[in-house]
Amino acid sequence: MKEPILKVRDLYYVYGNGQIGLDGVDIDINEGEKIAVIGSNGAGKSTFFLNVNGVLKAESGEISYRGTMINKKNLKELRKNIGIVFQDADNQIIASTVRAEVAFGPMNLKLPKEEVIKRVDEALTYMDIMDFKDRPPHYLSGGEKKKVSIADIIAMKSEIIIFDEPTVALDPLNAEMLEEVLSKLSREEKTILISTHDVDFAYRWAERIIVFCQGKIIADGSPLEIFQNEEVLKRSNLKQPMLLNVYESLVEKHLIADEKIYPRSIEVFQKMIQVIK
Amino acid sequence: MREIILFVLGFLAVAVLLMAVVGQYHSQDGKHHHKIGHKHGEGVVIDMHAYASKIRGWNPTFKVSLAMVLLILCIALNNPCVSVAVLIAMAYLTMVKGGLSVNEYLSVLMIPITFILLGTLAIAIEFSFDPIGQFNLHCGFFYIYTSQEKLKEMIFLILKVFAAVSALQMMTLSTPSSEIISVMRKAHVPKLIIELMNIIYRYIFILLDVYSKMKNSADSRQGYCDFKTSCYTFGGIAGNMLIISLKKANAYYDAMEARCYDGEMIFLEEEKKIEINQIIMAVIFVAVLFLLWGLTK
Repeated sequence: MKEPILKVRDLYYVYGNGQIGLDGVDIDINEGEKIAVIGSNGAGKSTFFLNVNGVLKAESGEISYRGTMINKKNLKELRKNIGIVFQDADNQIIASTVRAEVAFGPMNLKLPKEEVIKRVDEALTYMDIMDFKDRPPHYLSGGEKKKVSIADIIAMKSEIIIFDEPTVALDPLNAEMLEEVLSKLSREEKTILISTHDVDFAYRWAERIIVFCQGKIIADGSPLEIFQNEEVLKRSNLKQPMLLNVYESLVEKHLIADEKIYPRSIEVFQKMIQVIK
Repeated sequence: MREIILFVLGFLAVAVLLMAVVGQYHSQDGKHHHKIGHKHGEGVVIDMHAYASKIRGWNPTFKVSLAMVLLILCIALNNPCVSVAVLIAMAYLTMVKGGLSVNEYLSVLMIPITFILLGTLAIAIEFSFDPIGQFNLHCGFFYIYTSQEKLKEMIFLILKVFAAVSALQMMTLSTPSSEIISVMRKAHVPKLIIELMNIIYRYIFILLDVYSKMKNSADSRQGYCDFKTSCYTFGGIAGNMLIISLKKANAYYDAMEARCYDGEMIFLEEEKKIEINQIIMAVIFVAVLFLLWGLTK
């Protein structure tokens, strides 16, 4: 088996007020995986991300990236290779033009200026926001800011990209744009972790789902395994995805054959129903 | 000699105004001027003009140094003809070259008018118990008096101040803050101040946003129904703003660290080419100012 790209062992994190944030997290993340991280509010998803990125320092535990143990010295290596797109773009955007903003990461990597400009242009083209490269971020709309915050990370060429609740505060059109970007990134063999409360999205998109509850990982498996496990769903205050629910109801009423072929998207489901007619 | 120069300058002023009006008329006729953002307050409007200006592409160092040189010349030469010439040239740059509408330019230029009038009136007018001076006005038991000399001094001072202000407005109305900050960095202003300026500039808009959201939500719950409640709500919002800004500062720091921030903020600055003929024009203009000064001394 291939060596996992990111290995986390026994990670403990305690907040400043003594509250436990992470309570022994073990996980292996393989290259190119599409992982959805779900769990109720305050379950430790964001804390986990910040720990993995080295922003928060864990009490104990080990993180190794491509087989190299992370310590204080090579922390920068970790941050360079793991990018986080924060939930609120306004908390991430720091510079006063879009161009300078996207360049912030590459500039911190101390790259030569030509390389920075090249990367910025690439990232802007990637997100299709070349038009407002000279605009200040405070005159952008919410969806545009989100695009800028994603371009920030693309410009850093991180191998693992973490999205912290990206679909929150996006209108359907922008959410669609986000999914397109995600599939584009997957084609480039990027490893993607997304925290979300949208179970329908997680079911449709993810290859693997990790469930957090009170600072622990309580389940880790394929979407189907997770969403059919009622105990896990109950413990983490989650609901079954609509599509799975509908499919199971139809099977129960013997309206469609129980072939155990679970449709992941509406399109597949519609085809399935047409066959029945 | 002086009369001729003043006449020429007056003619130029009218010409610039006409050009600005005609330019504006044409731009409205052709395509709609696309504006970005929405209004918050006067300061933010100036910020928006800077981004919309047509001379934004000029080299910021050139614009800032030109404004500074003109500002110093206005004060140092202390000559009404120089002041008028600067006023006209700056109006030309901002309105005709920059594409700012006449109304907007005048409204921005009028911001300091109260201060200027109050300040200069004190120079022109004096009080006395006796009817003295060239002109005097009896006000009960005292007199307000002034003289032609004093009035002239006042008008020249107003011209001088307006010329200096218009030079600075030319800079602020055509150069976004981030570029002005980068010019200051090149001028070796301490790094700490530069970083603070960058962050403060970005923060102003975030805090304004937070403030307007909190104000709206308080307003929708009758938080401003009478004076006492308004004061109470204002206090609450101010307190909350402090907490939120602390929280935001934390979130920001995390986000910056996640992108390899290690204690030094460096931003990509665009290199804008400086054009030789712009410099030549500026040098010629400064020479003309000196000539005007020499002729009317």
